[in-house]
Amino acid sequence: MISERLKQVILKTLELDDFDFREETIAGDVPGWDSLSHVKVLMAAEAEYGVRFKTVEVLRLRNVGDLQSLVDRKVG
Amino acid sequence: MSPLMWDVWERKAREQPVREAIVHWDAIEAPHVWTRSALLDAALRAGTWLAEAGLDTGEVCALVLRHHRAFYPVYMGVSSLGAIPAVLAYPNPRLHPEKFAHGLLGMAERSGLDWIFTTRDLEPSIRPLVVHGKSSIKGIFLLEECERGGVIGSEPRPDLLERKRTAVRPSDPFLVQHSSGTTGLQKPVALSHTAVLEHVERYAEAIRLSDADKVASWLPLYHDMGLIAALHLPMARGVPLIQIDPFQWVTAPVLLFNVISEVGATLCWLPNFAYNFMADRIRDEDMEGVRLDSVRMFINCSEPVRADSHDKFYARFSPFGVRRDGLAACYAMAETTFAATQTEPDAQATRMIVDREAIARGIVALAGEEGSGRVCVSSGKAIPGCELKIVDEAGDTLPGDRVGEIMVASVSLFDGYRNYPEKTADVLSDGWYATGDYGFLHEGNWYVIGRKKDIIISAGKNIYPEDVEDAVNQVEGVLPGRVVAFGSEDPAEGTEHVCVVAETAFDGEPEKKRLRMNILRAGMAMDVTISRVYLVPPRWLIKSSAGKPSRKANRERVLAMAPGGSGDRTE
Repeated sequence: MISERLKQVILKTLELDDFDFREETIAGDVPGWDSLSHVKVLMAAEAEYGVRFKTVEVLRLRNVGDLQSLVDRKVG
Repeated sequence: MSPLMWDVWERKAREQPVREAIVHWDAIEAPHVWTRSALLDAALRAGTWLAEAGLDTGEVCALVLRHHRAFYPVYMGVSSLGAIPAVLAYPNPRLHPEKFAHGLLGMAERSGLDWIFTTRDLEPSIRPLVVHGKSSIKGIFLLEECERGGVIGSEPRPDLLERKRTAVRPSDPFLVQHSSGTTGLQKPVALSHTAVLEHVERYAEAIRLSDADKVASWLPLYHDMGLIAALHLPMARGVPLIQIDPFQWVTAPVLLFNVISEVGATLCWLPNFAYNFMADRIRDEDMEGVRLDSVRMFINCSEPVRADSHDKFYARFSPFGVRRDGLAACYAMAETTFAATQTEPDAQATRMIVDREAIARGIVALAGEEGSGRVCVSSGKAIPGCELKIVDEAGDTLPGDRVGEIMVASVSLFDGYRNYPEKTADVLSDGWYATGDYGFLHEGNWYVIGRKKDIIISAGKNIYPEDVEDAVNQVEGVLPGRVVAFGSEDPAEGTEHVCVVAETAFDGEPEKKRLRMNILRAGMAMDVTISRVYLVPPRWLIKSSAGKPSRKANRERVLAMAPGGSGDRTE
């Protein structure tokens, strides 16, 4: 499940009012989430949770569920 | 007799069999190193497999592949039998499969694509195009069938391939590259073996390429900068290329610097947005242990060169070894194979601050004081074998310091757009190519300052406003024909953003929010990110004298109301 906190980080970064994020949501499903804004989303998530993602970790992300799991592992 | 490209590759492999040709870089898996001889052997195997599978001399074989180590031998293999490779973009996940198929069909009709080499995951989209009424596509080759058990192609038959190549002359097409764009408006540029070979020789001279050079690149190979500068130049000159996955780079931009630092790369071509993108998105922690001193030229190309972007990049990365005199620039286009101009090695691209009012009148005059003028960055001097001139609306040549359309003549000029005589006639005359770009010559240096056409260049990608307008027109709630799309400069990101102004009769906030989202989605379906949507009431848009909404007038009107602003305008 995608947390409200992560959802708000993504919405704020992409300047969206709302979006129904699910685990299987991919960047391409979300307006404004293109290849260039992808790094912005990741950096915003790092700042929000006070964590650092490794290059290999971000390259392996396939969907929002993966990003949620990565954040959970890092803060856990 | 002039050689074919294949002859040059063969000679390089004989001369330096164990030298690195291409390092196929992957940040997750180990890099794959292609030596010159291993690459040639694999290309012979791939060429034999393709010939046995039906590809014939003179046919066009499109390659639609992700970053894959087999790409290079397959590309060469197509050429080994005198067929013509055309690299096409692998579809972004956001691109709707129907849009992808439609674009491919348009290209097939225009370019005369005979075969598509791709992977099984794209087969469902492409297969219906084979033996389609309007399509020339004869069949599909699958990578999964060409590469089995990690071995590319089949038992090589060099004699068979050589026999097939005997029908090919150096003036025949060697490759087809497409002008970048969205869908059916891409124009196929066929380049001969001679044009590409002439170009790489002369461009190598312009940048003083030597055996000590190494190229690092994340550039996609369907783009002329990636294909010609980053791939063909090093391959034909025996210089190593380290090729990074474009998708990996955009996700983790520090990868380029990791590679440069690790291998000691000396040359790197980048579109302007990448300077800002890397300066903004790479942190000091990412740069631990990274040095960039080895790079003698970062060459800015494919987008208007912005002084701010160079300054930002230099300020951010000079502590890691980036040199000011390594900030180079180039003016290039697929129609001249690649470069028309290039700045001098070991010298920063020249700048001048011109008077804004004078330049709007077509006259170049130095601005009185810094800050009041427009900073223009030079793209350098004409490379050997290339000549430029500036002409006015009537086609008459203008002297230096006068703004007009840039015309280029070159030994590596294309012969015309493939199967597109009417478009060719629009731009090619008496050996001069009309670039559609505005610029001027000042003290021997060429400056490119604008475009005649309304094309939007966003993050190195050419986007035609007509395509965006057509897509937005289909969105329910938008008044038919009452849409304009244009580019808006974003100095912070060093590129242009796509903006849309659409008339709607909707009045309530909830339905306008939905409409705005649907317009963004219409852009997504064609792989275009629309950054700003301005919703305006009926009869808001200013019409041109032709009775259509004017992009220029409406751009000025909306930006004057909301400079850099976001959201809807509903007054």
